[in-house]
Amino acid sequence: MKNILVTGVKQGLGLQITKTLLEQNYKVYGVAIGLSADLQTLKSQHGDRLNIITADLANIEGSIEQIFTQTIGFDVPLHGFVNNAAVAYDDIISNLNYDPLFRMYQINVFSPFMLTKHVIRNMLLHNIQGSIVHISSVSVHTGYKGLAMYASTKGALEAFSRTTAREWGERCIRSNCLVAGFMETGMSATLSVNQKDRIFKRTSLKKPTELDSVANMVEYLLSDKSLSVTGSNVFVDSGTI
Amino acid sequence: MLDTLLEIVNTVRNNKGLATLSDLKPSQDLRNDLGFDSLDLAELTVRIEKEHGIDIFADGFVLTVSDILAKLAK
Repeated sequence: MKNILVTGVKQGLGLQITKTLLEQNYKVYGVAIGLSADLQTLKSQHGDRLNIITADLANIEGSIEQIFTQTIGFDVPLHGFVNNAAVAYDDIISNLNYDPLFRMYQINVFSPFMLTKHVIRNMLLHNIQGSIVHISSVSVHTGYKGLAMYASTKGALEAFSRTTAREWGERCIRSNCLVAGFMETGMSATLSVNQKDRIFKRTSLKKPTELDSVANMVEYLLSDKSLSVTGSNVFVDSGTI
Repeated sequence: MLDTLLEIVNTVRNNKGLATLSDLKPSQDLRNDLGFDSLDLAELTVRIEKEHGIDIFADGFVLTVSDILAKLAK
């Protein structure tokens, strides 16, 4: 059974990824900012195959202590890491404030960089040919008013992932970004119906990206079905072209 | 200490297809004498951390076997 570390599993896409992985017989170490009814239901259905770690990723050193020192330790081999946790600080650039910008970079960028360090070390210790998947956003590739700061955090992940692939490829550790389109999750809840319609009209399919499509692509990238896929950005975005 | 370090060094060497060493000398250079590159040193670091609870690369450079022994003696 493969052990996968997934962040941001309380709700939305992270919850869906966790559900998909559990259904396909993975063991999930899921990092959540807190418990939700849906997450508790998953726990009751899957028992020991879901290990919930309650941690605030904005507290980088504290969360690494909780995840790696207290929970995973040296004896659990990690086969995959899904960097899903993120916050969105949306505003036009002329209104930019440093504090929320810094917090977003802690959660969306600095924390996943540090988690990747520990994930790679774990994979080296256990001789695992592992897979890392970062959840990116189509906003990196297509401009959206108000998303400059958020898009920049995901762009940082895409650059980080590509070099992770290059640096660790000879150890057969893979790294890819899943570039997700706009989904109907809590992260887009602040958008008005009109704003959402405008976003969806820019897609080929004229509709939101399905969480299920994203979660299944994550599972593909984690699995041995994708052994030759690394350093890539895989778009699951209703065809935003 | 040198014996457990030898065991760890040989694990990393064997993983990259290098022959097992019979002994280690404090003066040996990790790159030039033991044949390690930066990725091998990362593997060495985590294997030492598992055994001794110390991240040898956490502060400053480690170039030789004796540098590792000094970190572990602290």
